Amino acid sequence: MNVLKVPARTIAVFVLPCLLIYIGLVFVPIIVSVYDSTLNWDGINTAKHIGIDNFKTMFAHDANFWPAVRHTLMYAVFSMLEIPICLFVAALMNRYVKKANTLVSIYFVPVILSTVIIGQLWKTVYNPAEMGGMLNGILNSIGLDSWTRSWLTEPKIAMYCLYVVSLWQYFGYHLLIQFTGVQNIPQEVYEAAKIDGAEGFKSDWYITYPMAVPIFKISIVLAFIGSLQSFDLVWVMTGGGPAHATDTIATLMYTSSFSSNQYGYGSAIATFLVVMCLVVTVIINAVFKKVEAKYS
Amino acid sequence: MKAISKWVVYLLLAILVITQIYPLFWLVLYSLKTNDQILGGSFFSMPTTPQWANYKAAYTSGHYLQYLGNSVLVTCVTLLCVIVFSSMVAYAISRFKWKYGPVVTLIFLMGMMIPMSATLLPLMVIFKNIHILDTRWALILPYIAFSTPISVFILSGFMRGIPAEIEESAFMDGASVYRIFRSIILPVSVPPIMTVIILTFITIWNEYIMAATFISSEKLKTLPFGIYTFVSQYNVNYGAIGAFLILGALPVLLVYFILSERITKGMVAGAVKG
Repeated sequence: MNVLKVPARTIAVFVLPCLLIYIGLVFVPIIVSVYDSTLNWDGINTAKHIGIDNFKTMFAHDANFWPAVRHTLMYAVFSMLEIPICLFVAALMNRYVKKANTLVSIYFVPVILSTVIIGQLWKTVYNPAEMGGMLNGILNSIGLDSWTRSWLTEPKIAMYCLYVVSLWQYFGYHLLIQFTGVQNIPQEVYEAAKIDGAEGFKSDWYITYPMAVPIFKISIVLAFIGSLQSFDLVWVMTGGGPAHATDTIATLMYTSSFSSNQYGYGSAIATFLVVMCLVVTVIINAVFKKVEAKYS
Repeated sequence: MKAISKWVVYLLLAILVITQIYPLFWLVLYSLKTNDQILGGSFFSMPTTPQWANYKAAYTSGHYLQYLGNSVLVTCVTLLCVIVFSSMVAYAISRFKWKYGPVVTLIFLMGMMIPMSATLLPLMVIFKNIHILDTRWALILPYIAFSTPISVFILSGFMRGIPAEIEESAFMDGASVYRIFRSIILPVSVPPIMTVIILTFITIWNEYIMAATFISSEKLKTLPFGIYTFVSQYNVNYGAIGAFLILGALPVLLVYFILSERITKGMVAGAVKG
């Protein structure tokens, strides 16, 4: 490692172009965002310093803020609940299917499509039957007419409909990750366990699942961080509506900044989002350090 | 008992295939129906005569080729810059001896935890001030910036493992660092570069929110934003919307069809190293 001692100018040539773009477009905006969060500013007129008032408003007075946080956290919880299922399916596939790779790449198709396409597709799935909606169409044709509803415009269920889409889209992604992890468990371990009388589900329980903990963690982190940032799907399907019933932190930030022109307030929400992402990553890593220590 | 559980597993896996693929298949059928069939017909009905007119409508009235061209252009420029820039940085932080190496590594690592959406507002103000709002640069620059952390991470991880002897002997022979980088390091780093290309391609090709925030001219819109625009403009022509969604999905599906194994491997590598 570090074999070359090169002049500072050479290092600069290698590092600076990328570092400058990166700092200028990722770090500077975050710092600007933190600064802007102390302003009362509509983006056009002169800004006024108001200290931490934006945060006070956010935590204490904005009726839409805590519901948005709750939706975001539930998003994360649902996404994480999917991962044990993926691990379970991955273990089954590893045991029962010979050419499992092909199967995995079929499950993976929704992952590579744009969220805009996925969102529009599922919007048509959820549409009222008069508009050709698939779900209501199915319910009608199997005689469950009373279950049909306008899925995305009923505040109580709209959010759950969005969770379903997200779970559907990322199922293949987490399955792929878990499957790769399961495949990498050496065959000898299973053979040794067989001699000790552990086969089938028993070997899954004592070998596959414990040995998959590191790869399980990766999926959990990805799902959690991804959910905290969840924006596109909600934006495309409901725009956070009806009446903020499906707002996440990111969509609330977007509407506050761009639709109502409260730049200062929007920046406060953005700051909250960044802090939350950093804190959560640290917490998850700490938790899994303990879990991994227990299993190794 | 064993045979039964085997078939139960197969059944479960088959159901999963159907739930993952059927909505897309349904969309294909949908895109070939007339409005009357979509609105009135029962759910299981097949299109009586395939309505290719839907595709024609989507193609001609939707600027499809223009959006596609923009996406190709923006993605290619971004990919090229990401590969060049991030492999240079990766080389510097994995092989050079310098004081700030670890700091720079840390700075890039932190970037992986920063949500793109939190930078939208300040970036818009910055872009407005330097007059690149509503130009392709307003997409390419942030795309590069947000793709570099993971790319640098993947590439530097790989480069650390390249044996030092090759470099040392080249150095003895009088090759410059640039020469070593170009003719030794880059050629052996092709596999991780492929991973970087795949990860960046999937992210950038599908990116919607930056495009929707920084671009307003019709002639600059990328495919995801273009699809969104088309759908909101033609909101009663259901068949054409379906057709446009299929057309929008087609390029990436084709790429996936050809390279599926590479893509799945690349995505796992990206996830595991991230």
